[in-house]
Amino acid sequence: MSGAKKTSRKSGTPRGNGRPWTFYALAGFFTLYVIALYGPMFSIYLLSFQDLKGGLVFPMRGFSLHWFEELFMQTRTGDFSGSFRRSIGLAVLVTLFTVVFSFTAGLAFRKRFWGDTAVFYLMIASLVAPGLVLGIGIGIGFNLLGFQTSWYTSALGAQLSWTLPFGILVMFAVMSVFNSDWEEAARDLGATRWQTTRLIVLPILAPGLVAVALFGFTLSYDEFARTLQTAGPLNTLPLEIWSMTLNVTSPALYALGTVSTIVSFFVIGGSLYLITRIRRKRAASTAAGE
Amino acid sequence: MSPGRNLVGWLNVTPLLLVLIPFFVIPICVVLAVSFVETDGFGGLYPVFTLDNYAMLFRSDLTLRLYAATLKFTLLTLLFTSVIGFWVAYFLVFHVRSKLIAMGLFLVCTVPFWTSNIVRMISWIPLLGKEGLINTGLQGVGIINEPLEFLLFSSFSVVVAYVHQLTIFMIVPIFNSMARIDKSVVEAALDAGASRLDIMRMIILPMSRSGIALGAIFVTSIVMGDFFVVKVMSGGGTASVVGAFYEDVGVLQYPTAAASAIVLTLVVMLLVAAILRVVDIRKEITQ
Amino acid sequence: MNTGKGHIELAGIGKSYDDGASFAVQGINLKIPDGSYCCFLGPSGCGKSTILRMIAGHEDPTEGKILIGGENVVGLAPVERRTAMMFQSYALFPHLSVRDNIAFALRVRGLSVKDRNAKADEMIEKVHLGEFANRLPGQLSGGQQQRVALARAAITEPRVLLLDEPLSALDEHLRIQMRAELRRMQKDLGITFIHVTHTQMEAIALSDIVVVMDKGHIRQAGSARDIYSAPRDRYVAEFIGGQNVLSGRISDIDKGTARLGGDTFGQIVVPLPEGHRKSKGEKLDIAIRRDDVDLRPVAAQPDLPPSATSIVGRVQAIEYQGNYVKVQIDAAENDDFVSFMPERKFYEAGLTVGDAVLAVWDIQHTQLLA
Repeated sequence: MSGAKKTSRKSGTPRGNGRPWTFYALAGFFTLYVIALYGPMFSIYLLSFQDLKGGLVFPMRGFSLHWFEELFMQTRTGDFSGSFRRSIGLAVLVTLFTVVFSFTAGLAFRKRFWGDTAVFYLMIASLVAPGLVLGIGIGIGFNLLGFQTSWYTSALGAQLSWTLPFGILVMFAVMSVFNSDWEEAARDLGATRWQTTRLIVLPILAPGLVAVALFGFTLSYDEFARTLQTAGPLNTLPLEIWSMTLNVTSPALYALGTVSTIVSFFVIGGSLYLITRIRRKRAASTAAGE
Repeated sequence: MSPGRNLVGWLNVTPLLLVLIPFFVIPICVVLAVSFVETDGFGGLYPVFTLDNYAMLFRSDLTLRLYAATLKFTLLTLLFTSVIGFWVAYFLVFHVRSKLIAMGLFLVCTVPFWTSNIVRMISWIPLLGKEGLINTGLQGVGIINEPLEFLLFSSFSVVVAYVHQLTIFMIVPIFNSMARIDKSVVEAALDAGASRLDIMRMIILPMSRSGIALGAIFVTSIVMGDFFVVKVMSGGGTASVVGAFYEDVGVLQYPTAAASAIVLTLVVMLLVAAILRVVDIRKEITQ
Repeated sequence: MNTGKGHIELAGIGKSYDDGASFAVQGINLKIPDGSYCCFLGPSGCGKSTILRMIAGHEDPTEGKILIGGENVVGLAPVERRTAMMFQSYALFPHLSVRDNIAFALRVRGLSVKDRNAKADEMIEKVHLGEFANRLPGQLSGGQQQRVALARAAITEPRVLLLDEPLSALDEHLRIQMRAELRRMQKDLGITFIHVTHTQMEAIALSDIVVVMDKGHIRQAGSARDIYSAPRDRYVAEFIGGQNVLSGRISDIDKGTARLGGDTFGQIVVPLPEGHRKSKGEKLDIAIRRDDVDLRPVAAQPDLPPSATSIVGRVQAIEYQGNYVKVQIDAAENDDFVSFMPERKFYEAGLTVGDAVLAVWDIQHTQLLA
């Protein structure tokens, strides 16, 4: 944070050159928060690398990849790789729908239209409704209609009823920097509606859409309450972890957490990379002119 | 408002409605309908109207205890997440001088949000357990002789897990509303002779109110609707509203579960509506 | 130059909302000759931008016709009208370079990359942006952005260019510079420019035709000089500025003149046009240009020429302006009464605040307001 010292005083609160005592107090508080945020996660990553003698608590007993092997072998820990594949597949589907539907809904909510407030509050209601209630409703509904629940039908819909409102809220934030003059200018210059969307709206909103995709993926990948009653006979990863927490008392549980987090980090890293790449590509087109 | 504009608006929200109607409106209606019918006790439903399911619910002492427990968790979580979220956001917006560093630290706070909540929850087990890091540490230093039992599988660990998961829902909206405070307003207040406490009380707190409200909506709805965290982190010792009707479903008592689900949904919606009176969420987000 | 192609006629256009309950503009009739520079001038909310957007095709009038080159364009898309609009925010596409921004219209018309870049580069040279062709809009200064916006609008070879407050985002110094550049561009392109502004000096400096608007109506349309020296009514006189507006009642009519009495000023002589229908006791508003008002010390009781009239007042405030001095007198109760005295003359007279003065002007310099 020493670099910050050189920059000119931008925030109005601290006066003079010295920092107020609150800075140090809050910096300490912030550090504690970050430690509490990350500390526990790192402890299970460590513990997942124990060997056969390993238990659920410190100290580390040995070092091996034993519990990861056990995870993929589908022995007593259950169908890990199957649930893992389903979760990824489901998350990809949810992401696609969330991005496209949030985008169109975001476009709709920029202008007032008859009934927009009703749709908006319906969306908020869907966001805050208890997930298990919806899950049970969908489960019974499918049952009544004689459909089999499965991860790619009922669970997909159940998850969308939660990721979509979330994605739209993110979309609102993204759209708030969008100037509708751009669309009008494109129209003025002779672009069709489709050309305007393809050449102007989508490229400008691209980084925001990646952010929506990140939300869609991670919310789905972690979804539990809505999926519990709707996933059908085959488990997704969170359901698998749920059943493991109830009956598995070995570091395999931690290994599962580690693998799951690695996937998350790939997704987060990939998204951030994509966003910065889009930004840099734009900046790069300028470099030629320097 | 021209008819063309309405048409475009509705066309654009059609995909949203195609999800919300079959997967939100209808399921809620199904649960509502089920809550008014009789059951044979083995999962079969008779289409006979009855209010017994609700009568049973309201007559049971258990209901009150469940709601008391769930509300207790909700309030405690709200308290801790809002206090922590407020000070973290305040630190980032008003104390970190470089914008770049502030954004970097903000990202540090948000990354765990994108990892699995469930994994983050179980990660407290090796820390809080009877032989966990905290107990062995404290015993090692000699502060305690016996391991502290209340750390894990207790109300304490439930609140810890909630706060760990949900503080981010406070930080982000509070950060956003604070970032929108014009710094010259603060300077003008200083020039007018306001103390830093005055500024906090009269400028920053009122202007962060909408962020806190937005965060409270997320935290309330998630904690009220949860049973996973309670179940795992309390070691099965504490029940919750959702946990109770999940067990009803497990033994095929659909109508009583449905009645309980409807009451819970109403309670959550009322709480959220109460918060929405404080803040115009749509205006807040679209700004 | 396609003579007559950019001739615009607004025939009774109006735009109302909620089935006529409220309106943005009403009863607009105006003819703008081809190749002229026309400014719509008025305070915000007066409907000037609405008219511009209706000509551009971004909004439709609820009544009336818009004729461009003799053809009614209501209902046509902007491209079909061959108009181009420059937005107040410039609306430059933030993800496209200067060249791609300017070439956008050609791109959507299906021109090859080579052709459109060649044309765009030609236009880039015209607006002196050669070295910035590959930059993004965000990396340009306000003046440069404005030139990109202008080039982007002009590349379609429109017959009418519509500019919505094009100078409002610039600082004072740049505004005057870009003002001249706009006028030069208009002459070069030889097309009709319609420019919306709330700044009086901008309109007066640029236009062939100034259209003064208020609350959805046109108050006066004419050359800049007409508007400035012969405002039609009190609103125009006050909005354009540089005028003293006095209200009074006619106390006497004598051939070509009338005597006017106000609450705080005595009898002044006002010329009446031939065939006037004014009568005794009628209310009358007049305007006198501030630079037509001369100040003399009352004590000197000067012998005024018969062609002059005067009122008495006290000097309230003096503001030095460089080449002239603005002297405010408490002659009219609710209206400012100001004399712009040439700097030298002011110091010869040696006036100070509180002095009683006689404000004198030539009767023929009085402008009767509707």
